[in-house]
Amino acid sequence: MGKRRKVILPPALPPETPDEEFEISDEDVEFFSENRTFTHFLAHFDRKKIDKHVTRVADKSEDEIERLYERRNRNNAPLDSRENDLQVDPVDALPIKTLDGKLQYRTTKKVRSEEGHASTDLTGEEDAEKQGTNLIRLTKAERNKKLKKEKKEAKKLKEDEDIAPNSPKEKIHSEVLKEVEEEISAEESFGVKKIKLAEIGMALLEDPEANIRSLKELLDFCKDKDPQVVKLGLMSMLAVFKDIIPSYRIRELTDKELAMPVSEAVRKTRYFEYTLLRSYKSYLQKLIELQKEAIFKLVVVRCMCTLLEAAPHFNLSEKLLAGTVRNISSSDDVIRKLCCEAIKSLFKNEGKHGGEGTVRAVRLIAQLVKKHHCQLHPDCLEVFLSLRFDEDLGKHENKAEENNKFTKNKKGKQEPMKHLPPSEKKKSKQELIAKTRGEVYADYKAVSFAPDSEKRQRMQSDTLSAVFETYFRILKHAVDASDPRFMPETSGSHAQPLLAPCLEGLGKFSHLIDLDFMADLMSCLKQLSGFRSGTHLQSKTFNVNSSGSDRSSNRLTVSERLQCCIVAFKIMKSNLDALNVDLQDFFVQLYNLLLEYRPYRDRGEVLAEALKTMLWDGRQHDMQRAAAFIKRLATFSLSFGSSEAMAALATLKQLLQKNTKCRSLLENDAGGGSISGLVVKYQPEATDPYLSGALASVLWELSLLSKHYNPSVSQMASNILSMTNLKPTQNIVNPSLIALNPIQAFWESTVQKELLKSMNAKVPPSLKRKRKRDQDMEYYVLDPQKLRNIDSQVIGEEEAKLRFEEHFKVLRDISENERLKGELNRTLASISLYDEFKREKREKERSVVLKSGKKKAKVLVKRSSS
Amino acid sequence: MAKKLGKKARKFARKGLQTVQKQKRKQRTFFKKKSAPRGRGLNGEAPDENEENLNHERNVSQLDQNVGGGHVFDKNIGNLLGEEDEVELEDDFSDSDGYLSEDTECPYISENENENISRDDTARGTFQEENTEIKMQIAKQKKELDKLLAKDKEFAKFLESRRSQLEQYDRMVSDDEEVEGDEEEEEEEEQEEQTRQPVTQTTLDVWCWLVTEDPNSPALRNLLNLYHNASLFGVITSRNEKSAQIVSHEVYSTVINFVLCEADGIFRALLGVAENSNAERILMKLKSSKEWLNVGPLVKSYFKSSIKLLNQVTDTMLLVFLLFRLMSSVVFLHAFSSLGRRLIKILVRFWSTGEDQLSTSAFLLMKEVASQLSSDYFNICMKAMYRTFVARCKFVDDSNLARIDFMKSSFLEITSLDVQQSYLVAVSSLQRLGDVVKHSSTTKKKEDLMKINNWQYINCLNLWVKFICLNYKENNLQQLFDKAVRVIFGVTSLFTGPRFLPLKLKCAQMLNDLSLTSGHFIPVSSLVFECLDLTGGVTGKMDGDEEPRLKLSTLLKVPGNLLKSRRFQEECVRSSVEVLCTHFSQWSFHVSLPELSTIPLILLKRCHEKATVESVRRLIKRFIDQAEQNRDFLQMKRDGVSFSPNDQTSIDNFLLLEKSNAKSTFTQFYASMLQNSQIRNMVK
Repeated sequence: MGKRRKVILPPALPPETPDEEFEISDEDVEFFSENRTFTHFLAHFDRKKIDKHVTRVADKSEDEIERLYERRNRNNAPLDSRENDLQVDPVDALPIKTLDGKLQYRTTKKVRSEEGHASTDLTGEEDAEKQGTNLIRLTKAERNKKLKKEKKEAKKLKEDEDIAPNSPKEKIHSEVLKEVEEEISAEESFGVKKIKLAEIGMALLEDPEANIRSLKELLDFCKDKDPQVVKLGLMSMLAVFKDIIPSYRIRELTDKELAMPVSEAVRKTRYFEYTLLRSYKSYLQKLIELQKEAIFKLVVVRCMCTLLEAAPHFNLSEKLLAGTVRNISSSDDVIRKLCCEAIKSLFKNEGKHGGEGTVRAVRLIAQLVKKHHCQLHPDCLEVFLSLRFDEDLGKHENKAEENNKFTKNKKGKQEPMKHLPPSEKKKSKQELIAKTRGEVYADYKAVSFAPDSEKRQRMQSDTLSAVFETYFRILKHAVDASDPRFMPETSGSHAQPLLAPCLEGLGKFSHLIDLDFMADLMSCLKQLSGFRSGTHLQSKTFNVNSSGSDRSSNRLTVSERLQCCIVAFKIMKSNLDALNVDLQDFFVQLYNLLLEYRPYRDRGEVLAEALKTMLWDGRQHDMQRAAAFIKRLATFSLSFGSSEAMAALATLKQLLQKNTKCRSLLENDAGGGSISGLVVKYQPEATDPYLSGALASVLWELSLLSKHYNPSVSQMASNILSMTNLKPTQNIVNPSLIALNPIQAFWESTVQKELLKSMNAKVPPSLKRKRKRDQDMEYYVLDPQKLRNIDSQVIGEEEAKLRFEEHFKVLRDISENERLKGELNRTLASISLYDEFKREKREKERSVVLKSGKKKAKVLVKRSSS
Repeated sequence: MAKKLGKKARKFARKGLQTVQKQKRKQRTFFKKKSAPRGRGLNGEAPDENEENLNHERNVSQLDQNVGGGHVFDKNIGNLLGEEDEVELEDDFSDSDGYLSEDTECPYISENENENISRDDTARGTFQEENTEIKMQIAKQKKELDKLLAKDKEFAKFLESRRSQLEQYDRMVSDDEEVEGDEEEEEEEEQEEQTRQPVTQTTLDVWCWLVTEDPNSPALRNLLNLYHNASLFGVITSRNEKSAQIVSHEVYSTVINFVLCEADGIFRALLGVAENSNAERILMKLKSSKEWLNVGPLVKSYFKSSIKLLNQVTDTMLLVFLLFRLMSSVVFLHAFSSLGRRLIKILVRFWSTGEDQLSTSAFLLMKEVASQLSSDYFNICMKAMYRTFVARCKFVDDSNLARIDFMKSSFLEITSLDVQQSYLVAVSSLQRLGDVVKHSSTTKKKEDLMKINNWQYINCLNLWVKFICLNYKENNLQQLFDKAVRVIFGVTSLFTGPRFLPLKLKCAQMLNDLSLTSGHFIPVSSLVFECLDLTGGVTGKMDGDEEPRLKLSTLLKVPGNLLKSRRFQEECVRSSVEVLCTHFSQWSFHVSLPELSTIPLILLKRCHEKATVESVRRLIKRFIDQAEQNRDFLQMKRDGVSFSPNDQTSIDNFLLLEKSNAKSTFTQFYASMLQNSQIRNMVK
């Protein structure tokens, strides 16, 4: 090989390089023997081509070679770059010796590594794909052939190298080489490894069955010292696995099966599966192992999540799941989001794993919550909201099948329509295709683990029980924490991070809750919403007096308490017939919570939702209660922003419409009429709506609300006021506003929405142009007296004269000062010039001396030569 | 700053440091383009501070404004001003030189002998000492040089050969002006040098006499030329001796005084309009009359010189004097728009940075300009003022509270001169303020919030709220009103937590103002609920009576360490009670006051129970008592009526009589409370 190389001139060498220099080829060999990895690129040599090329080149004269080289170099970059990547151009692969004697092995590698830098941060796959496209041109057969050749060549190369160290000269250069090697290896080995990774990855993606063994090589990369390489390795393996993992689970073979003789194809497949499974296992092990190290954490989590999303059905998914769930409450936002997304996709795409993953994940989360005593990030419970439960599984199944059939039929029909078969041959082909498809489908049915409805039902109930177990645990925990007895232990601004998603979830799945739990659940919620059993009847005075302490004893925020009420009502609603629980306590709670609400601190939409579920949606209300709420909502809207007011007014209107008798509140009927309740006089501060005596009040608020700055509020208020004249049967006042439920009303007039309204830049015609031209001006804001005073403070002419004189003097002095400074500078400069002058003088003298000296010297030289 | 100091002083300042000059040249283009008044030369000329003790005060105040954290809000200014068509005020009055052709027959009386000698009575300024010092140094160095010359004969020759180099030294001191772009002056000089000869006091007296006798006298031209020279005095002397026309301080002051005092009368007399005739007549004259052809150039020269003088003079009282003199002849400016702009620019500077008197008189003159001249001037004035205000209201503390107040109210004065025009500006500025809120409420980023949570934003918002309040009654400003309310609510929605209470209180005050002028109901009370929730749990010491009172009016965000302190809570409760007080007092005779006060009263009672500080308790208690009294009174009255809530006219007439009398204790309480709060906010 060395000989061959000698013939071709290294690119950087000038043509006049003496022949001795070509000894380098030996060093080359030595270098490669020491750096095995560097020979990888040699492995790609197409021997034939090299031979061809070399021989061709060798025939040429030196000049021709140069020209050849130049031309190739010129074309190289744009056109042949692909080829270069694939098969390293022999010329380019040769080392270059620079003028100072250093060897450059880089040219091609550099190009590639730079390329790599650009595109492989975390997406090794991209790189792989990019290069993969270059490979596509090769057919399989060609490739295999090539591979074999490469192997052979590599072997040969090794032998060559083994022989090479015998050369004596190599020792002389060894030290230099070592230096070079160190220099290079640091920067280059990374690049080389990256390229190697990409190549293996490509190969694997190209033909997984043939190259399955190289998974091991990839695994080796994950043991590298350089963390960067390990990361890349992990990512490449991820890409590979994502692609090659089959859509079925690989089953361990029984002994019996192993003993049976099988065909070549089966054996191959078995081998493939076996290797795949084994390396997958070790890959996962590696992941789990690396997870503990901080630098790899993100990469590992990303790998796990992606794998979980891509292959939740595959073997060992339990491990993946465990790893993901472990990080679901991570304090790192990115990691947490990744995990949550992975779990959510697991829940959403149940078809991929047949529901087993769901059950497992839910159970794991339940365990996690238990283990951490409900102190986790709320995100990890929010994933439950993406769970889906089929209530009628059997039906669904049938439907799905029908659907399937339908699509299948459709496809079957469509295809022949598309390509009208012109010949018999094609027809038979079509048939064949159809047949195969049928077979595949049957196979799939047999193998696929889409379980039957019974099994699915079982799994679903498992899931549900795990979910509710978690929810109840959280509720229980919250109840315990809110109990004043435990107060000192659980201090903290927000002791119940999980409560909000938990309540949300309960609201969502309320129809699935087992009736047995209902009573407990309700009492829990009652307690959480701030209501303490037994106390409410004790007396309202207690509540009024101790309202301060009462509020502090409940550590939940207003939004959370409102949510409790909402959940209770939702549960009630979805189990209407089965339950007979009085929700009155929750109404009391809402009645009081209206006072606790603070805009922007609490979530307004929750309030609106509470109003909707509890008051707006409700059927006929007790008159006392309805009146109390009407009054309170009206008062409420006087103190709060327009969106809250709108929500309240929408509710109020609905209440008035449903409870026709309450419309008496709109009229000032002296004496209260016939429908005054127990309490004769209205008690605005009462905590119990039943005892507020609201029926005796008048909705005076509306008159003020009709002056509201927000036109929609004032319109609403006037609308409600106009209900007075309606007969009890008449309902619709303004169809545009009737449709609004509290939540819509809330969102309609939020601050953000209000801000979107833009202004008309036109000047309204009624604007006055009040331009005063007369001397006697009036002042609007400023104090005219003060302004007039200014007049009198102006200095007189005499004073001004004096001051002007002073000013003149200052100016004159300044200019004088300037002039003087100029003069001073000039003088100083003159003095400093003296130095220069002296120096020049001296130089002149010296030059005279020198000249004469030189002359003398010349004369001497002449003399001696002659 | 530069322009304000006077050219002389500016030049002087630059002399010391060549680097400054270099730096300045680099920055000049940048600043000119920007043209925001505060940008003027603040960076380039900072070093002159120490040399410039003449107007130290003004300097310092401006530097203070600009040094701290200006960068944060720079973008904001852009936002607030936006595409506000920046009128480039830079254009110079280069249409003609400053000199008027003179009639040669005017007498020059030369009595040089006794006039020129009055050199010894130099000013008591600081340069006196420095000059003598330099003189001594020169003498010393000269001696040395002489010695050197004596020592080496060839050196003299050498020096001669380097003369040009030395000359440069000389120029370096004074030549900045040419670079700076005062070309106009140069041109002027070159034109007529020969005719100038020193004017003596006697000559001047004769001229003055001639002019007073007959306004048409050619001496007027001479006088105006002399005035022009006087205005250039400091600038030119150093370079050539041309303005040696003025050699004595008496001539200087007499000519300025005479021209300033008499010019207006003379011009009017020349034009043939009465002394006290109004602006329209003069404007008519300006357009048509033939006299104007003659008088025009004179007036122009007068204004031009006066503006230069305004740039030159540094003494506040003199400036005030100048401004007052100019006020009477503002009408004439109509003919010279570029001069007018120039003048407005100077005035805005005085208005925003000058001392009390100066800024007020600048404002008065500006108002004169805005009201007497065409609407173009009004526009220029208003926009320049607004821009300056925006630039200067970034920080609020005790020291500049009054100044910002003054700027606000004087701006309002100007805007209310022509509501139609200012309406457009108000619309665009409010729109921009709203856009900022909108953007922030979608992104919720910290830096976006910072754009709102600063004084610049709040002051601007407040300015327009005041504008609306001032003009709402007589104009249809409904649209502006709506927008302002929306923006304010938007601002309050962005900030939660006790730290932003001062900001919220400010918003609440603005809303109260708006509600009061418009008669619309704006629910303010919820804004202070958060404040009421805060009470209790004071950690600070109770004996802190000596510690200075916290002024919420100068705070937007409360520093964390104060949150739990007693004085903060006190101030908070006081301010929120004041807000509620205004709110209640507005509706104190409305039929639904009892309902309006229901929730606030419940919360106040709770707050009262929780409060640990006695003063807070007392304050709340008093307010609760009065509010309850108000409520009971209304409830009693209400029980006697028979109309229903939908009877709007009856409701409007309800208790009208009592309202106008307002003798009840609660109204008095509200009034005194509000008065107190005003006093407290003003007192420093």
